[in-house]
Amino acid sequence: MTSETKSNLARLGLMIAVYLILAARIPSYYSQPGIAALLDSAVLAGIIAIGVGLTMIAGEMDLSVGSMAAFAGILSIQLFPYGMVPALVIVVLFCGLLGALQGYCIYKLNISSMVFTIGTLIALRGLTLVVSNEKTVLIPFENIAETDFLSAKFFVFSIPSATLLVLVLLVDFFSRRTLWGREIFAIGGGRGEARAAGVSIRRPIIVAFSISAALAGLAGALLSFRTGSASPLGFEAVLLEAVTACLIGGIALAGGRGSILGVLIGLFTIRFLVSGIAALGAPFWMQSLATGALLIFVIIAEAAIGYVTRRRRMARALTA
Amino acid sequence: MTSQDASQRAKFTIPKTAYGLIAILVLLVVASVTTPSFARVDNIFVVIRAASLTGIVAIGMSYITISGNLFALSASALGALLAVLFALLTAAFGFAAGLVLTLGLAVFCGLAQSLAISLIGNPIITTLAFGTVFRGLAALFSGNSILRIESEAALWLGTARPLGIPTQSWAFIIAALLSWFVIRHFKIGREIVLCGANPKAAVASGLRVGLVTAIACAALSIGVAIMAIMTVSQFSQAKADLFMGYDFDYIAAVLVGGIALRGGKGTPLQAALGAVLIALLQNFMLLHGLSAGVRMTIVGLLVIASISLFHILQGRGR
Repeated sequence: MTSETKSNLARLGLMIAVYLILAARIPSYYSQPGIAALLDSAVLAGIIAIGVGLTMIAGEMDLSVGSMAAFAGILSIQLFPYGMVPALVIVVLFCGLLGALQGYCIYKLNISSMVFTIGTLIALRGLTLVVSNEKTVLIPFENIAETDFLSAKFFVFSIPSATLLVLVLLVDFFSRRTLWGREIFAIGGGRGEARAAGVSIRRPIIVAFSISAALAGLAGALLSFRTGSASPLGFEAVLLEAVTACLIGGIALAGGRGSILGVLIGLFTIRFLVSGIAALGAPFWMQSLATGALLIFVIIAEAAIGYVTRRRRMARALTA
Repeated sequence: MTSQDASQRAKFTIPKTAYGLIAILVLLVVASVTTPSFARVDNIFVVIRAASLTGIVAIGMSYITISGNLFALSASALGALLAVLFALLTAAFGFAAGLVLTLGLAVFCGLAQSLAISLIGNPIITTLAFGTVFRGLAALFSGNSILRIESEAALWLGTARPLGIPTQSWAFIIAALLSWFVIRHFKIGREIVLCGANPKAAVASGLRVGLVTAIACAALSIGVAIMAIMTVSQFSQAKADLFMGYDFDYIAAVLVGGIALRGGKGTPLQAALGAVLIALLQNFMLLHGLSAGVRMTIVGLLVIASISLFHILQGRGR
C-alpha cells in the first residue's frame, strides 16, 4: 500500500467517523430526505471547491471565488428574462473569460496569485454591488415557479447535486488523464523542473484559473436560480469552506498533490459536521466557527504528521 | 547589505515614500477645491480619526508583510473579538485591568497564529481560518448582543484631544515612529527585514525565523488591540460584527504604501502613509456620494494597480 492510498483511506475513515457520530444523534442522517438535503447543501461549496482545488494543485490559489459567485448570481438573475439556459451559459462563459484574464495577468506579472486574487476579490465584490445597485435582485414573481425543477428530487439527487457529482468525475478525469490536466499537476509539483522539461507555464495557469472562475460562476448562478434571488453581499463564507474541503481532501498546500475525488471526501466531512451542528440547534455563527476550527485542526495535524514522517525517514536513512 | 544593494534601495525607497506623500497632497488639494465640505474642521477630524485607526493596524500588518508572510486576513475579526473582550473585562474588573488583559490576550492570539503559520507555512489560509474562529468567539462571548461600558477613563481615551489632536492620532504617530525605529535600529527589526528578504538564507545563517514570525504577528495583534480599545472607548459599546470588511482597507494601505510583497523591503512608515491615503480617498468618495459598491470597486482596482505597478517597478519574480 502506498502512502498516498493510506492517507486517502485515513481521510475516508475520518469522513465516515464524522458521519457515524452525528448519525447516532440525528435520525434524519439516514433518511432519504435527510441525505438529499445533505447533498443539496454541499452543492455551492462543492462546485467551487473543484475549481479552487485545481488552482491549489497548480501551486496557486484563487481567493476571488466568493466574489465571482456573487457576481454570477446577480448577473444570472438579471439575464433571467432571456431564458434560463442562455443566462446560465452566458454567465459561465463570461466568468470563465474573467478567470482566464486573471490567470493571464498572474502568469504575465509572475505575481503571487493569493495577493493578486485578493485585489480581484475586492474589485469584483464592488463591481457586484454596482451592477446590482446594492439591492437584492429577484426573479419576477410570476416566473418564480419556472425554477422549481431545480429543487425537485429524483431518489436522493436533485439537478444541482447531480451536477456536482458529474462535475467532480469530469474534472477528475480531465486533471488525471488529459495533457492539459497533467500540466496543472506538473507546474504545481515542481515548477522549475516542469519548465526545464518543456511544460508551458502559461497554459496550465490560465486553464486552472479559468475553470475555477467558471465553476464559481456556475455555482453562483445555480444557487441564485434555485432560491430565485441573489444578494450582492452573498457567498462570502464559501471560500473558507471550499479551501477546507480541498485540504481535508488531501490537496497539498504546496501544490502538485491530491485529487478532485479527494475534494469530495473533504467536502462531505465538512457538510456532515456543519449540518449536524445546525441540526443539533447551534446558532448560525457556530457553523463557520466549526469550519474554521476544523481547518486549523486538519492543517496542523497534517503538518505535524509530515514533520514526524520526515524525521523518521531521516533517522532510517542515517541508521541504514 | 552590500553597497550595491544599498544604492539600489536608495533609488527605490526614497521616491516611493515621496510618491505616497505626493499622492496625499494631490488628493488633499483636489478634494478641498472640488468639495466644499471636505476642508471643514469637523470633517478633517473624521478623516484623521479614521486614518489613525486604520493606520495603526496597517503598521502592524506591514510587519507581517516585511517579514515575508504576505498578509493576515484575521485582523478585523480579531478586532471584534478583542473589542468584545475589552468591554467584558472593563465591565468586570475596571478600565486599567481591562486594558492590560486585552493587550495580553491580543499578544496570545498573535502568538497562537504565528505558531500555526510556522507549522503550516501559508499565512493567508491560516489567518483565514483563525479569522472565522475569532469572529465566532466574539459572537459567543458577546451573546450576539451589544455590550455597553461606562468608564470615565475609557471615554477620555476615546474622545479627548490633547493639544487639539485626537488621542487616536497620537497613538498613530507614536506607533509609526516607534515601529519605524524598531525595524531600522533594533536587532530583531533587522532580522525581520532579512527573514523577509530571503527566508532560506535566513534559516541557513541561524536567524530566528520562528521568533520573527511571532514578533510580526504580535505586532499586528497589538495594533488591532489598540484599534479595538480606542473604538470601544469612543462609542462606549462593542458588538461581534465590528470592523466587518475592514481587512481590505489594511491590506490596501500596505499595498498602496508600496511595501514589497515578497518581503524584506519597505518600512512601517510607508504603510502609515498608505493608510492616510486610503482614508482620504474613502472620505472624498463618501462626500461625493459614491455608493459603497463604487467605493469598493475603486479601492480594489487601486490595490490591483498598485500591486502590479510596484511589482513591475521592482522587476522581480515571486
